Amino acid sequence: MTLLPYFEAMNDLPVSAAIRESLWVIAVINTMHLLFLVMFAGAVLLVDLRLLGRGAREQPLSDVARDAQPWLIAALIGLTLTGIPQFLSNALREYHSYLFWMKMAVLLVALTYTFTLRRYVTLADEARVGAATRRAAGLISIALWAAVVIQARLIGLFT
Amino acid sequence: MDALPGSIAIRESQDLYSWILTSHVVSMCAFAGLVLMMDLRLLGIGNMRTPFSQVHRALFPWQIVFMTGSAITGLLLVYAEPLRFYSNFLFWIKVVLMLMASINALAFHRGTYLTIARWEAKPMPPFGARLAGAVGLTLWAGVVVAGRLIAYNWFTMP
Repeated sequence: MTLLPYFEAMNDLPVSAAIRESLWVIAVINTMHLLFLVMFAGAVLLVDLRLLGRGAREQPLSDVARDAQPWLIAALIGLTLTGIPQFLSNALREYHSYLFWMKMAVLLVALTYTFTLRRYVTLADEARVGAATRRAAGLISIALWAAVVIQARLIGLFT
Repeated sequence: MDALPGSIAIRESQDLYSWILTSHVVSMCAFAGLVLMMDLRLLGIGNMRTPFSQVHRALFPWQIVFMTGSAITGLLLVYAEPLRFYSNFLFWIKVVLMLMASINALAFHRGTYLTIARWEAKPMPPFGARLAGAVGLTLWAGVVVAGRLIAYNWFTMP
């Protein structure tokens, strides 16, 4: 059982071919994906720096996290909406790319982590979660998301 | 510059070039992302639970760190392919936009920011501060867009 036929079908969709064959459409989509990535990186890093004790220390962690949340969600929606056409137009290339599967695996872990453990630590009462736990939570977040971005960039260079 | 051994070495090593480019993207995202978070507060539309001075104090050092990282990797990329960038119109657009964004940041620091004690307690920063935020946001977005589009080698000059 292999996913290859599904990837071939997605690769052959009229919309995939249309994106592939128009140079400026993919350029616009790639650029928008990068702008949403910048927003996402800002919203994540703002809170991670605070978790590391290097951000806005005078402010409760949960306030910083609540403020960042709408930008994080908006950026994720933008990344998904621009990422899907990027994927469709290159479905077959992505299927054969080791880096693509690695990115998706780490992305799944990073998303799950961000909306469960990290969310719990950022919204919990600061007296109940130790500084070491917060620091670890911030470092894990930075490591996971950096890995996603690095692999994403390398897909374009090594496939 | 194109003929220097170091320039040729980076250009011809796919691994080295890729890692410099990837580092450039990662540090750029961190830099521009933190600038965006600060500018949203300056505009009065984001991170409103924290006063601007605190957002600024917390993020400014990190913006400098990631800007330095972006600058070093960016200079290495230009060093590796000077003729390609020299003849790319979008590269020069990017340089001009970066200069304008730096002037905007400097003007804000020498201007409206000096009176922060007067508007610090109010949730909404004054018009001058919001203007600096909007201009900064637009210029840095332009830098990212121009930088991304350099890759397509459009608008090249002889």
